[in-house]
Amino acid sequence: MNYSLIYSQVTGHIPYLLGGAVLTLQLAMISFLAGWAIGLLNASILHFGPRAARLAVQAYVTFFINTPLLVQIFFIFFVLPDAGILLSPYAAVAIGMSLNAGAYLTEIQRAGFQSLRREELDAASAMGFSVPQMVWYVIVPHIAKALYPPLSNQFIIQVMTTSIAAIFAVEELTGRAYNVNSLTFRSLEVFSIVAVIYVALTLVCSVALALIGRWLFRVRARIL
Amino acid sequence: MTDRRALFAGGAAAAAAAATLLTPKEASARPLEDVLRAGELRVGVNPTLPPRALFNERNQIDGFEPEVAAAIAQKLGVRLVLQAVGSPERIPMVASGRIDFVMGAMSRTSERAKVIDYTVPVHSENYGIVAIEGRGHTSIEALNKPEVTLAQVRGTTAIPYIQRAIPNAQVLLLDNYPDRNRAIAQGRAQASFDGIDSVRFALRPFRQVQWEVTAVPAFGVTYSGLGVAKNNHSLRNWLNVALYELHTDGTIERAWEKWFDGPMFTKVPVSPFF
Repeated sequence: MNYSLIYSQVTGHIPYLLGGAVLTLQLAMISFLAGWAIGLLNASILHFGPRAARLAVQAYVTFFINTPLLVQIFFIFFVLPDAGILLSPYAAVAIGMSLNAGAYLTEIQRAGFQSLRREELDAASAMGFSVPQMVWYVIVPHIAKALYPPLSNQFIIQVMTTSIAAIFAVEELTGRAYNVNSLTFRSLEVFSIVAVIYVALTLVCSVALALIGRWLFRVRARIL
Repeated sequence: MTDRRALFAGGAAAAAAAATLLTPKEASARPLEDVLRAGELRVGVNPTLPPRALFNERNQIDGFEPEVAAAIAQKLGVRLVLQAVGSPERIPMVASGRIDFVMGAMSRTSERAKVIDYTVPVHSENYGIVAIEGRGHTSIEALNKPEVTLAQVRGTTAIPYIQRAIPNAQVLLLDNYPDRNRAIAQGRAQASFDGIDSVRFALRPFRQVQWEVTAVPAFGVTYSGLGVAKNNHSLRNWLNVALYELHTDGTIERAWEKWFDGPMFTKVPVSPFF
């Protein structure tokens, strides 16, 4: 190929790219935590809720799983303003990613709920536990261990998914890579550095999640 | 072999494959003789920049640049193959010989010219402010305020100028011009400082908005040429001659007027010397 790799043309931009990586991580964490909370609530409704609420949750999950995230954020970013709701780019992307993750995390946590044994719930019920108490003292400890690996995977997916935010004016890692690329035209250098940063980010997250899993839930996840 | 060893072995194999792909022995930019021998000219255009290039109602790539590329291919006596390219991959595609040259608002800058060779200019690029009428956003001074948000398209030539000359304004970097225009129309941003050549075409879908376009000649004019792989002199020299002929016989100006609804704001000074 008639192309010489010259990394010195882009290495000066690495601190700028790393600043984007911080934003990437922040966006992934916010959307994951919000999605996890949405998923937990929805899974509880699917397991214990009335029929109307269950149907509403199923409609939400069906809609968000069967439409692309890009379209969902586009709707929030560009269609809601016509209805008088003007969100900042960061808020629009964070809400879109949270709602999307919420649908997947509903399904993941529903599976966790289904892994519960009837006897455990009957025993809690016989002891006079309310539904919130049952969730907190019986269900969560039981399913945390089973759900920790898929939840960790979902977090890593969230980290990757943040790259979509570049389209909506959020200056995360990929957005900043586009900026540096347009300035220098050094696509191979810029995107190979960005790929290394993404790998480092996900490896650090994987190690951290594995350690947290071992410490909190005694889940022996493999790191490498 | 343990899983961990397998992982590292796989990683090493992937690194070796990547290194092989980047060696000079791989596909390289085609000189003029190879293009003639193959009987086809491969040109990269960016269909997200209408009317420079766009997908028409038959879902084929059309627009100003495909029309100029067709005229070039006709002069060369070869078949034209258009390749849609985006911003990140356009330079590697030229360098690897997948396309012979790239169009798509290839504004010349000294920084970019370190990576790619340019032909003589195809068209000029003129800059100005796009805003909503009657709001007073008609000068650089009026934009240089913290309460002003400029909607810009990521990766465009105006951005370094904005960072330098309009530092107090907020900047919202979007993916394409329709999104930029929508952001201004919806009040997400107050204005944009960018190329105004295609603005008549780009603002058509927002007929309910009263737009105000103010040229800012102080920014200067930039020129967009064809992007050719570094040191592909035989092709670049021939393209310079072809572009001279297409300028002087009016082909480029006619194509511009057809697609941009009017003449170029600044005519390209045509010189017989390259």
